[in-house]
Amino acid sequence: MQRRTFIQSLAALAAAGALPLNISQVLADPADAVSVEELPKLEGELTLYLGRGEGGLYENVIKAIEERNPDLKLRIRRGPTASLTNAILAEAKAGVRRADLFWAVDSGAVGMVTAAGLAQTLPAELTGQLRDEFRFPDWAPVTGRIRTIPFNTERLTADKIPNDIMALPDTDYSVGWAPAYAAFQSFVTGMRILEGDKVTREWLKAMNRKAKKFAGELGVVMAVERGEVDIGLANHYYTLRLKAGKPDANVDLAFTNNDAGCLVNASGILALKEGELPANFIRYLLTKEVQSYLAEEACEIPLVNGVMPPEGLPRLKTINPPQIDLTRLADLRPTIDLMRDVGVL
Amino acid sequence: MIEVQNVSVHYGQKKVVDELSLTLGDSELLTLVGPTGCGKTTILQALAGLIPITEGTIKLGAQTVTADKTIAPEKRHVGMVFQDFALFPHLTVMQNVSFKLKDSRKADHWIDLLGLTPWRDVRPANLSGGQKQRVALARTLAHEPAFVLLDEPLSNLDAALKDDLRWEIRHALKDAGVPAIWVTHDQEEALSVGDRIGVLKDGKLEQIGTPESCFSEPQNRFVARFLGDASFLPGRLDAGSNIVATPLGNAPAAPVNGAEGEVDLLLRPDDLSLKLDEQGNGEIIWSRYEGSARLYGVKTDTGATVKIRCSHENIAEPGQRVMMHIITTHPLAVFDQSDAE
Amino acid sequence: MKRWSPSYPLAFIIALMALMPVLVLMVLAADSPQLFDARNLQILTNTLALMVFTAGGAVLIGVPLALLTAYVRLPWGKFWLVLLAAPLAIPSYIGAFTLYAAFGPGGEIEQLTGLTTPSFDGLFGSSVVMALYTYPFVMLTVRASLLSLDASLVYAARTLGMSLLSSLWTVVLPRITNGIAAGALLAAMYALSDFGTPAILRLDTFTRMIYVEYNSFGLSQAAMLSLQLLVIVGLILFLESRVKGTHERPGKSLTLWPGKLRTSMMLLSCMPVIALSILLPLAVFGIWLWREGAGNFELVYAWNSAYAALFAAIATVLFALPVAQAAISGKFGRLMERVSYLGFGVPGIVMGTALVYVGLQLSMLYQTLALLVLAYVMRFLPLAVGSIRSTSERLDPSLVKAARLLGASQKEAFRRITLPLSIRGIVAGAALVFLEVMRELPATLILSPLDFETLATYLWRVYEAGYFGQAAIPGLLLVVISGLALAVMFFGERWNQTDVIEEEPSLS
Repeated sequence: MQRRTFIQSLAALAAAGALPLNISQVLADPADAVSVEELPKLEGELTLYLGRGEGGLYENVIKAIEERNPDLKLRIRRGPTASLTNAILAEAKAGVRRADLFWAVDSGAVGMVTAAGLAQTLPAELTGQLRDEFRFPDWAPVTGRIRTIPFNTERLTADKIPNDIMALPDTDYSVGWAPAYAAFQSFVTGMRILEGDKVTREWLKAMNRKAKKFAGELGVVMAVERGEVDIGLANHYYTLRLKAGKPDANVDLAFTNNDAGCLVNASGILALKEGELPANFIRYLLTKEVQSYLAEEACEIPLVNGVMPPEGLPRLKTINPPQIDLTRLADLRPTIDLMRDVGVL
Repeated sequence: MIEVQNVSVHYGQKKVVDELSLTLGDSELLTLVGPTGCGKTTILQALAGLIPITEGTIKLGAQTVTADKTIAPEKRHVGMVFQDFALFPHLTVMQNVSFKLKDSRKADHWIDLLGLTPWRDVRPANLSGGQKQRVALARTLAHEPAFVLLDEPLSNLDAALKDDLRWEIRHALKDAGVPAIWVTHDQEEALSVGDRIGVLKDGKLEQIGTPESCFSEPQNRFVARFLGDASFLPGRLDAGSNIVATPLGNAPAAPVNGAEGEVDLLLRPDDLSLKLDEQGNGEIIWSRYEGSARLYGVKTDTGATVKIRCSHENIAEPGQRVMMHIITTHPLAVFDQSDAE
Repeated sequence: MKRWSPSYPLAFIIALMALMPVLVLMVLAADSPQLFDARNLQILTNTLALMVFTAGGAVLIGVPLALLTAYVRLPWGKFWLVLLAAPLAIPSYIGAFTLYAAFGPGGEIEQLTGLTTPSFDGLFGSSVVMALYTYPFVMLTVRASLLSLDASLVYAARTLGMSLLSSLWTVVLPRITNGIAAGALLAAMYALSDFGTPAILRLDTFTRMIYVEYNSFGLSQAAMLSLQLLVIVGLILFLESRVKGTHERPGKSLTLWPGKLRTSMMLLSCMPVIALSILLPLAVFGIWLWREGAGNFELVYAWNSAYAALFAAIATVLFALPVAQAAISGKFGRLMERVSYLGFGVPGIVMGTALVYVGLQLSMLYQTLALLVLAYVMRFLPLAVGSIRSTSERLDPSLVKAARLLGASQKEAFRRITLPLSIRGIVAGAALVFLEVMRELPATLILSPLDFETLATYLWRVYEAGYFGQAAIPGLLLVVISGLALAVMFFGERWNQTDVIEEEPSLS
């Protein structure tokens, strides 16, 4: 039952959200990012459900926001994204609303909640701060992550790696991947959308023969660094963070061009209760200060204008990520079935 | 006053107690004796209400229990002394004895009476077997039961202790003035301690009566053998004079179950005399030294085997020929030869 | 006295309560499209293999250790006992992760010492890790059984010419099969429901499938698969109840005094177990702590963990008493006891969501400490029930009979006799629950009150983010606090002199 309404709203979103670029460009001229100084002070109580909070970094952002707003009492519940999503859905069913905000690291979770009609519409000028492809009516992407190919620098150089994801099976490099990881599943969904189910199936089959499975993408990157595998498929920030801790690590990033292999996904936040307070909180996450902090420290990609992307990451224009409506990436069921069918999952 | 009428107890299909009937007068001590598996413990448990009965009636004073209408154990005012003492290991002697008592005077009285005062505050783990059993008895009697059941109370104690404790318990029971049923497999104990004795076999009461009557006038061979060493000597009963003639002499007879004609005479080891004699009427097969007496197994010339007990000074070796005579003057039980088990 | 025990109604309610999350799963699963998938078979084989090897490994490690801690006079005996039971305090995914990080090419051991070590991987690695973290279940249950056995049978065997080892093998072990089975049951259920270890060590199990479904928002599929897993659980519950121990009079238990050399050798042979399960994770975290720094850990997390676990332990034991009493009273009671075990075999994360649904029914209590403790009770009831039941089963029945005859009702006899004499089992049950709650994660994350962080949740937080050095201090505290709880339990055994075994020579 959940699925049916989800697909219905997906269709609705597709109609409203995935407008051709030129029209959306006309709709709003993206302004430069706002500074925290310009934001109203937050007062009152907010409960935030935070999915997999990227360790201390999101915490630091939250702490900074709290420090700046001494009259705000922020209560946080952390948990695995799926658990929190299920909890929010269960709470709504039972008529119990505890969470004011839901900040999830992948857009799939956000999609589930918005599909259930639980997210509040955000003010247009709030969402207008974001870059075009990241504007949605009832949720705000916070920071981006891009799919990459980390490689072991002792064995390979960046130019040896094809810039077409579909060509990877033809190389004879050993590959590490984490099929159970949500971001990977979104990547496969992206490939399905761009290339079609049949081609995706063939690609998965071929890759499955040479790929080694890991529990998470951090594990993938660590394995690449150790030399257990030559290359891996992972979100960009794992590699950057590893290198930040260990500058002489034997790993670096390679990118494909304009295909699912360099898909940009985003973490997202939505408001579950109406009112100014939740929306104003979200504004803080889109400020220059927070976005540049996250770019520098968490190595994530800022989604507002006027903020520099993290070091070690080439400009998005050179990579040319594919244009996919992020909410479509939430349609996981066919992806999971496909991956299971091929034996990847 | 306890009345048991045709009580049967089943364990599944098996009838463990078979239509048992007996009555117990006030402050009477009945010993129940029988081989293992005869159902004596089961009877006790049924009387205590720990297991249900399948047939019959039990009247405990004013209360009546049947197969359909049962009364919970704690309502029956019955006291039970267990073979393994069943003392509460986490409580002291005093706490054990006064378990359900409101005031401690009764407990004090019995602890004192049974000589347990030095161990009032000791836990059972630190007591000897005899002390434990006394505590168990004190605990039972302090709660003033309407009657007492004793389940082989002395079988876990050493022989030297048994004798003294036997009498202590009997005195304590008489002192308390309660009727009691004492179950044991030791026939010597049963004979000495009880006012009456009941012999059980396979759930059936074979005989119930005073120790003397059971011992000297057993109703059947099983009872005869169970209550003491028994030898059966073939002979001929003369119905008119009630004298039985045997190869070892004549004796007055007490026929059992209308025995007549060819009979077996029940002889106890002390019913015969023994003297070394080259001629004699028998030959020693084995001998056993018992300290104050000697027990001999002798084969008569007619082929029967008898056991004789004599003074320790009367020494004879296996293989020697002896002369035996029946020396008892009171009537001895005789059984039909066809009655042999 | 055997027909209908007054503990039945209460036990029924409690068993039903423990069953509620499973019922929720059935409702959730009703949405699921597919009942069975052929692909599931391969994964099922892996799962069953992991379960069997884990239980086997736990028995192989746990039984000798139980013999060691029950019968051998060791210097600082109780300390060794606490140390050997301590792996229960560590979440198995932590153990799996540190072993994975330490061993193998490129692992920490290789980096520090240059020695290449084989890697922990797949079925072998997963079984080893799970056995290392579940053997305390077996050790504790078997130890309790061993302590109630009369030593005279071993003496008889030895005087008849048997060596000590073979008399232990032929005369002791066969009599405690139900203790071994009870411990193996817990280990097996743990292996069935754990996700972290097989995921990290790359073993494809049923639970992994459940998690994949769960994480891709296929809740009803996850629920359906969990119910299918419960079929296996039901089967092993049935098998375990078939194993009967001997009923015998307790006597003085065996004590062995091997020489110094022998004792040292035996203790030395325990070292690998302790090293791998406790020292290694702590050492690895220590290295990372030194490299990375401590982060923002607060001591209040430890406090939260401890008192939530304490409440849960007490509450669970209270709820367990009627169920344990019912279990020894008759067939229906035993059935209720078995049924209350079902929840323990459900993978944690699914159970967490089921408990959320249950908790939401009492919406006023939702996300309060009271409800969290209740959730713990529902989850961990079997641990306490099993422990209490196996202790009170062994009590001399004539003690209760004697109390009844002295005029005590069934309730009073239970309260004044059975209960005090089962203290050992009660305390052991409470300790097990305490340890499990200390490391519980999924239910705590969602059902705890806001701003209630425990050691386990904090540990998970930093682990998920990759800041492993920050896991060292909470990890250490987990072990220390749990070790303290174990120490209290084991030392409490001596304080309460309710042993039906005679410890000192009797006075005459």
